[in-house]
Amino acid sequence: MTQTTSISAPPDEPRTAGPGRELTPEQRAKQANRRLHKSEHRWALAFVAAPVLGFLLFTVYPVVFAAYASLTSWNGLGPMTFVGLDNYTRLIGDEYFRTSLWNTFFYMIGIPIGLVLAMLLALALNRKIPGRTALRTIYYVPVISSLAAIAIVWQFAYNGDFGLVNQVLSWFGVQGPDWLANTATVKPALIIMAIWKGLGYSMLLYLAAIQSVPASLLEAAALDGANAFQRFRSITLPMVRPVTFFLIVTNIIAGSQIFTEINIMTPTGGPEFSSASIVYYIVRQAFRYQQMGYATAMSIVLGILVFVITVVQFRLNRRNSFSIE
Amino acid sequence: MKKTRLLSLSVCAALAGTLALTACSSGGGGADDGEKKLTFMFRGGPDEKTAYETAIKKFTADTGVEVDMIVTDADQYSTKLQAAVAGNKVPDVFYIEQANLQSYVSSGVLMDITEEVEASGVDLDNMWDYGVDSYRFDGELQGTPDGALYGLPKDVGPFAFGYNKTMLEANGIPLPDPDVPYTLDQFVDVTKQLTKDTDGDGALDQWGTGLNVQWNLQSLVWSNGADWTNEDRTEVTVDTPEFAEALQWFADLTNVHGVTPSASEAATLDTYQRWMAGEIAFFPVGPWDVSVYNELDFDYDLIPWPAGETGESATWIGSLGIGVSNTTKLPDDAVKLVTYLSADAAAQQTLVDAGIQVPNLVDMAEEWAAAPDAEPANRQEFLDIVKDYGRAMPAAYTYGAQWYDELWTNIQPVIDGQQTAADYLAETQPKIQSLLDESNATAEQAAAGR
Repeated sequence: MTQTTSISAPPDEPRTAGPGRELTPEQRAKQANRRLHKSEHRWALAFVAAPVLGFLLFTVYPVVFAAYASLTSWNGLGPMTFVGLDNYTRLIGDEYFRTSLWNTFFYMIGIPIGLVLAMLLALALNRKIPGRTALRTIYYVPVISSLAAIAIVWQFAYNGDFGLVNQVLSWFGVQGPDWLANTATVKPALIIMAIWKGLGYSMLLYLAAIQSVPASLLEAAALDGANAFQRFRSITLPMVRPVTFFLIVTNIIAGSQIFTEINIMTPTGGPEFSSASIVYYIVRQAFRYQQMGYATAMSIVLGILVFVITVVQFRLNRRNSFSIE
Repeated sequence: MKKTRLLSLSVCAALAGTLALTACSSGGGGADDGEKKLTFMFRGGPDEKTAYETAIKKFTADTGVEVDMIVTDADQYSTKLQAAVAGNKVPDVFYIEQANLQSYVSSGVLMDITEEVEASGVDLDNMWDYGVDSYRFDGELQGTPDGALYGLPKDVGPFAFGYNKTMLEANGIPLPDPDVPYTLDQFVDVTKQLTKDTDGDGALDQWGTGLNVQWNLQSLVWSNGADWTNEDRTEVTVDTPEFAEALQWFADLTNVHGVTPSASEAATLDTYQRWMAGEIAFFPVGPWDVSVYNELDFDYDLIPWPAGETGESATWIGSLGIGVSNTTKLPDDAVKLVTYLSADAAAQQTLVDAGIQVPNLVDMAEEWAAAPDAEPANRQEFLDIVKDYGRAMPAAYTYGAQWYDELWTNIQPVIDGQQTAADYLAETQPKIQSLLDESNATAEQAAAGR
């Protein structure tokens, strides 16, 4: 390498006129190197440019545009009128915004429940039980199914008069409520469905994490007299913590954007707006009421909230982080 | 020099990659190669899609203009259309909802087609006034006879009332008069007789009726002499005693008289299923239901809605319009497609034969209603609604429907009998009023900025 450069870059190369003559040999070599690889540089630039441009076009531009749109009165069709922070002040007084924000956070109760269930399930399916491959597959089926199709099926299941859920309850002499038409039951009903839908995914990640726990550690602990629960608590659980962290972060981000199941199962936002999520309300404002500017302001607020929550989670996780040699 | 060429090359590469993903559907009429092509965006189920395919095939054969159809589900339609507008890929011809007309006009999306329609020789007098006027807008008021035309009706949807003839006969109930509506008391009386346990297992399995407040309250309110707003659409009038009485009566059907299935659910899904299973005596019938209802195991027919204080039956007429984009490259052909779908006799026949709508043409509709094998027999009721007593939905001609939705949002306690209608309406009126004020202010702004 070095040899080639010195050959192709003689010290008295006439093109490097002026100050070039006073360059140190190292600098001269570097310059020559640059010249030689010029065409490669070009190609490198071209390859780098593609994702950068994509990023500018599809990430930076929409974000900047949305930030501007949130400061305008705009129906999504015609011209935009700049109104300053009007949309944001309106947000503060909007009780439906508060309700839907509250509902969205309420739905997140399902996240820890889902994780605990997924962990238990992963532990169970990690054992050598007959048909475990089939069981693993079955639990994964909801994950790959279309959310819209699942929502329609569950809507039937929750029907107060002849839904599957209430029929099963009636075997035990329980008169079930009309799940989706009742302020007290509509959110739990949606949470149960969301847990069921997400179980397979979390279970699979946990399963992989559990199986990667070094057997030597467990054996050593067993030799020291730790029982199964102690081994789980002190070894398996800390070892799968990165997976738990990943699932919590992604679940909260996904949970804050919950929309499809609500839109399909409770198209009016539920009784007294009790099932409407924030994204449901944004879509309704944007496309039904043609308040695109206002809806954008809400999206910006939601985006900031999610960002802040995620940053906090990463901070907390850093403090709790656990490493093993 | 080299640097710029390089840059543009990489831009092109990046764009080519990304555009290949986004530019999968071509918008607008590609008239460059001499071939005429329109895009037509509409919504509907499989029945409608097939009917429109047939009608449009004939249009292409007649005019040589090709039509790309973009069809969506009903609930996705407005989202997709708005996205298309925002992305400057407005279809040449598309469905337009009454309630969205004003914002589409003031935003410059819809083309004024008054002259083109006049020139096309369409006989507007042979079309339902309600249907045509719905798409007229003079910059201030929509639905008046002198505004400019921004679309033609795709259909008119008179929301009629029906009954299960087989069930009434089996229970020895005299059939209702197709010309004289029940009074509310008579209706409660009849439905009580029809609500019963037919197989003796202790649970009800036949009901008088099962209505949905969001779609059926209008009829009761109007026939009781009340309305959502005053005539100028400036003042919300839901807190009147007549309005409260109508809503209370609606709730009492379930909570006091017990003539409907379970108390809590207001979504039609379950009562719709029960009506089709022959377990419900009285149920609404729209023209869009006819093809399904005609296949049911029992006979049914149409009657006027039960009438309140005024003694007159009332109900609403839905409608969808077909409009033309302001940016179309083929305005003449686009308008031709609109008039064809809305007013051409052959096209109407195709759509009517598919059992999805009432004919838009008056003479054809009268023939259709009088047909000896008409099913339901009293099809005339549909036409009476369009001609005489049907009304537009309260929010059809306002700028946006947020004010109107507000009434339904917190209504469940009234339907469940936990709150009186009067209390609820008094509480809600100011909220609805402020939303309507906002809607009117937006409409003014939009009209001024035009």
